[in-house]
Amino acid sequence: MLLQIDALHVRYGGITALSGVSIDVPEGETVLLVGANGAGKSSTINAIIGLVSPSGGRIVFDGKDLATTPCERRARLGIGYSPEGRRVFPTLSVTDNVLSGAFGLGRAKQKEALDWLRSVFPLLVDREKQPAGQLSGGQQQIVALSRAMASFPRLLLLDEPFLGLAPVWIQQISDAILQLRARGTTVLMTEQMARPALKLATRGYVMRGGEVRRSGTVSEIRDLALADEYL
Amino acid sequence: MEQFLQAAVIGISLGAQYALLALGFTLIFGILGVVNFAHGGFYMIGGYVAYSCVGLLGLPYPLAVLIAVAATAALGWVFELFLLERLIDDHLATLMLTLGLYLIVSNGLLRVFGPLSMEFSFPVSGSIQFGPIYVPRENLIVLGICLSAILALWLVLFRTDLGRALRALADDRQVAMAQGMRPKLLFPAAFALATGLAGLTGALVTPILALSPGVGDPVLATSFLTVILGGLGSLGGAALAAFIVGIVEAYSSVYFGGSIGALVLFTLVLLLLVFRPTGLLGREIRGA
Repeated sequence: MLLQIDALHVRYGGITALSGVSIDVPEGETVLLVGANGAGKSSTINAIIGLVSPSGGRIVFDGKDLATTPCERRARLGIGYSPEGRRVFPTLSVTDNVLSGAFGLGRAKQKEALDWLRSVFPLLVDREKQPAGQLSGGQQQIVALSRAMASFPRLLLLDEPFLGLAPVWIQQISDAILQLRARGTTVLMTEQMARPALKLATRGYVMRGGEVRRSGTVSEIRDLALADEYL
Repeated sequence: MEQFLQAAVIGISLGAQYALLALGFTLIFGILGVVNFAHGGFYMIGGYVAYSCVGLLGLPYPLAVLIAVAATAALGWVFELFLLERLIDDHLATLMLTLGLYLIVSNGLLRVFGPLSMEFSFPVSGSIQFGPIYVPRENLIVLGICLSAILALWLVLFRTDLGRALRALADDRQVAMAQGMRPKLLFPAAFALATGLAGLTGALVTPILALSPGVGDPVLATSFLTVILGGLGSLGGAALAAFIVGIVEAYSSVYFGGSIGALVLFTLVLLLLVFRPTGLLGREIRGA
């Protein structure tokens, strides 16, 4: 198991965001967390990457308990992260945004990542010098995704990658996730839009009110996941 | 015409000096969100370290300049890492801390070196004639070094992993951390870069102007004015504004007399802020 989350609790002041969430992410699979707004999907992702501190439970990545590992070291362990709302670096060029995802890996690895990502997303060539803050939402999502992929992470965390995007962008991003998976990357993604995400996932968890309500293969969770899509 | 050209040369030379100071000041604000009131203090330390190396230790001036840069960068690193870093998200506390450091530095220098100006002169003198105008050699040397330092800073910020990381941290610290960038290593580096630039300017300029414990005050005021004009946190804006400030100051001094220069500048900045509150190339500030 590449990632194991056991009885995770997250609180923001007096508000409980996650209550005893347990999730397993096997190596090589694409696992989907699906649920409506406020279900606890982003809190789970933020706890894994280290942007919020759990009030209880354990997160184990590749056999290592992450409790004392600060956020910036988790990237070095092989965890890539694409946040909700894209959050590209607005003043950095498209190329610099992508390269920032491969920070500290050396020029050879950065070039390899950039070349591969440019072959997957021609946009990265067409807009290479443009500040990322000037791009459309779909284009920014491609940049954010590329940044997360640039270190060729073992585990890629994608927080709502399809949110607010036109079908053409959803298709491009889906294709890229499939290509990355073919390279051996494990993916944990959250999504409200269950339909396109279910096409990519191998397993899933349906979350509501900070808890896991159902888990299993895609066919086992499909009905509940699609019901939540309209909540 | 000669006077006009002469003023232009002085203005460009002043602008390059102000640019070094303002770039450091705005770098710290843009990346750390800290208004560094101690910036003038690092300028003074640069001057006094260079003076001590030359006047007391008998070292050659170029080596003294390098030592001044290293000393101010090291001091900036230590100050950020051990004091500022602990309060980095509390803007009022960092403001008070940098102001406190400035007071400690200026009073410390006053106590050690006394209130009088030091006998510290630039090792090169004379002028070079370009057609109808004469340019002091020292101004040309300082201009060349300042422009080289600005180019070097640009290369660090826009052509290296370190620079990319610093700019990413300035844009979105949380997401930058999630990409593996460590503020606890990079913030002191940014601060040291900025204070090293202030130290370099101090070591270069104080032998031409003056070196006394009060010389940091106008430096702080000019740096602040320049980055406000350029747009807080904007590197391009700071460089552009520095040359505008230098040229306006030079022409005002030549044509209207010394004290009018500051009046013209403050009026210019006030007018600009009325019509463009973010400065020439500034943007809306987040997180500060």
